[in-house]
Amino acid sequence: MREQIITQKTIADPRSHYGDAKASTRHFITQRLTGVSNIAFLLLLLFVVVRLAGEDRGDMVETIGSAWIGLPLALLLGIVTIHMRNGMRDILEDYFHGRTYRLYMMLNTLFCLIIAVAGIGAILKLVFWG
Amino acid sequence: MTVRSRPLSPHLQVYRWTITMTMSIVHRATGIANYAGSALLVLWLVAAAWGPEPLDAVNGLFGSWFGQLVLFGYTWSLTHHMLGGIRHYVWDFILGMEAGQREMLAWANVIASVVLTLLIWTIFVWVG
Repeated sequence: MREQIITQKTIADPRSHYGDAKASTRHFITQRLTGVSNIAFLLLLLFVVVRLAGEDRGDMVETIGSAWIGLPLALLLGIVTIHMRNGMRDILEDYFHGRTYRLYMMLNTLFCLIIAVAGIGAILKLVFWG
Repeated sequence: MTVRSRPLSPHLQVYRWTITMTMSIVHRATGIANYAGSALLVLWLVAAAWGPEPLDAVNGLFGSWFGQLVLFGYTWSLTHHMLGGIRHYVWDFILGMEAGQREMLAWANVIASVVLTLLIWTIFVWVG
């Protein structure tokens, strides 16, 4: 989302509704909903890591490759990346603005996208192709 | 003509250090750590999907003393951020905001995160 230039007049005028009410509410709600989902993700992650840490590929395929574990893990990991992008946005908004902000925000989106695609791709490979 | 320098807005150092403020900073810091740490999880998953040799390499990396140290820190970071999120949920319902209550929640956050992390590593790594 491109940010607009905010003048003193915009802030002083009560009709301008300083800030984007809808986008900010959506951001807040998204962060809370994905946060709840992340608790489920952490429980599943704990189960998977305890079972598979240091184990060989056969065990990984057996556990994560099982659709009942692999598919929820892939879905929850995707939701985690939404939470990551949203949270990093909060930080970037605090310290950067203008072109620098947009550049860092683009890198943020790129990183979260790579994590989502690589992570979900790897899990789906284990589930469907072993 | 001399130009007076513009007044600067006070930064963190002018305020008395409080536990709520510390936990707010730590929540952000652990968020950043978890953000970066997600790469470790994806590295493991991709290596497993790739083949036995890459998986052995990643297992060797994560199994080394340095890898274990990082994973221990990552466990604490995830636990702390999760509990911090739950604390924010409590505040969303306008509960626990009074003086004393909010400090209690902040202390509970840090103590519980350390206890949970030690429990997880004791049960599943050091004993299990």
